[in-house]
Amino acid sequence: MSCENIEPEVLEKMENIVVFMCNECGQGSANTAGVARMAYNPAIRIVRVQCTGQIGPIQIMDALSNGADAVACVGCCLGACHFFNGNVLSMHRIKLLKKVFKELGYSDQFVNQYTSRAAEGETAVGDFEDIVIRLATAIREEGTIKDGC
Amino acid sequence: MDVKIFQFHGCNKCFNETILLNGESEYKVEFIEDPKNWKETKTDVSVITGYLLLEDREVLDKIKSNSGKIIGYGNCATTGGVFALANQRGYDISPLNKFIVDAQKINGCLGEVEELKSAINYEEPSKLKNLCLVCGRKTTCDYLDEVKRQIELDDDTTCFNDLGYLCSGFIAKECKERCIDYNAPCRGCKSSLERPGIRMLGMFGTLMGNIEVATEHSELGATDKLADQDDDVTDSLPDVLGNFFRFTLPTSGLPRGRIPSSGNILNDVFAGRLIEELPLISGLLGGDHSISLTLKIIETYEKANQIELSEPTKKYRQELLELENQLQEAIKSKDPEQYKKITDEIRKIGGNMNLSNVFFGGFRTQIDDNDNFEDYKTHVFDVVEGTYKNGSVEFKIDPIGIVKEIIIKEV
Repeated sequence: MSCENIEPEVLEKMENIVVFMCNECGQGSANTAGVARMAYNPAIRIVRVQCTGQIGPIQIMDALSNGADAVACVGCCLGACHFFNGNVLSMHRIKLLKKVFKELGYSDQFVNQYTSRAAEGETAVGDFEDIVIRLATAIREEGTIKDGC
Repeated sequence: MDVKIFQFHGCNKCFNETILLNGESEYKVEFIEDPKNWKETKTDVSVITGYLLLEDREVLDKIKSNSGKIIGYGNCATTGGVFALANQRGYDISPLNKFIVDAQKINGCLGEVEELKSAINYEEPSKLKNLCLVCGRKTTCDYLDEVKRQIELDDDTTCFNDLGYLCSGFIAKECKERCIDYNAPCRGCKSSLERPGIRMLGMFGTLMGNIEVATEHSELGATDKLADQDDDVTDSLPDVLGNFFRFTLPTSGLPRGRIPSSGNILNDVFAGRLIEELPLISGLLGGDHSISLTLKIIETYEKANQIELSEPTKKYRQELLELENQLQEAIKSKDPEQYKKITDEIRKIGGNMNLSNVFFGGFRTQIDDNDNFEDYKTHVFDVVEGTYKNGSVEFKIDPIGIVKEIIIKEV
């Protein structure tokens, strides 16, 4: 499955996908992708943060309740957090938030966490693609998260 | 001063607590149990108790246009309360501020009548400390290696969270009910900040740092990503919603649930909760029947699983049931002195009006100094899958201890 196979009516429903990217690997890989002029879905909105460890349910719910269709975090690779273990801690929090969505009867694909490598732009663009594909599946199956609010 | 107390839906514990206002000569209190058929009269202060549905808007507008001040008393009115867990299954239980923006809120389950009095008198709300600052237990905030659903009661100096036992004291104000004094963790009924559930979720998620979270290889990104499958993190908290959003689901900013409803609100509140949380939830929402309901649920499980009860346990439980009968009489006669006397007695045995001290197999703290606590001390019990039935209560438990279905006939 790739982004090209997604129906236009589903793509239309993805207006804002907020991606919190950490200042080190996350933003680094997005910069590399930018230098290499790699294309990605225009709905992706990057928010740069110092570390994904700063991102928790509060920021994610703020984004979702202010119009985001999905939220993702992109941090450093496992074991490579430039601080200490911020990427793993935010994974714990996001995992719990995903469970909350499941318990409410929603798809858990509206929130996700990825890692990337600063030297490889493909990792960030691949993550964006994965976000879009997963969101498309969720929208096809049960509509956007806004439908339930 | 004219004070009108309106009881909307659900448990009537807060409504009953306002009987204590009856004893004060400065207030002319009127109790309205059926707000729909209330004949409009001007009043100085209106107090709203019980949970609110969208269909109550008209009645609330009527109350608003006739009142000098409106106070939401108790969690059900202010944030949806424990009944709002039914929003997970499509209900639309709403906080009072959705209807009346400037209503004053007095949180708590049970709401504190002293705070209500000061609100009625237009006094400044008292500044309360965070619960952790007044708690006797000490925390280190180290990452947890495991989350425990029940704890042994031997350690009374270490923070519940450090023991791996979820306590919402971080986001709570000090209160009168003080579950923490009865070896029960704080459930966060009196929150000290906005969106307490979401904040507690983030906080506890961080504390779980040493518990392994599953990751998987992402084909497209060629790196690791958070896995979709269940892992130790999700397995250690089987009911996230019920643990973190117990009182505040409608104000948490989460979307309304889409799980199909069973048509019965009690069933919808209980379903999905954990077996060890059942006594607490029935203690919270049972109103003036909470003691008999809680004991019925506990005894149903104990009987089926041959949990032996000691004589002192039986004695204290019997005393609680008798006190409940007396309480109902006091509520009928609206006698504040009698009400206070009986609730003080209930607090002595049950810990507080939410019965924090009552648990499977016994009690969590010593009731009388002359007792031997070991005789009726509760212990960690095993979760046993099955269908439990005892007269008016019937419930089904799955292998991890989640209630699948519950039928309660009398409340």
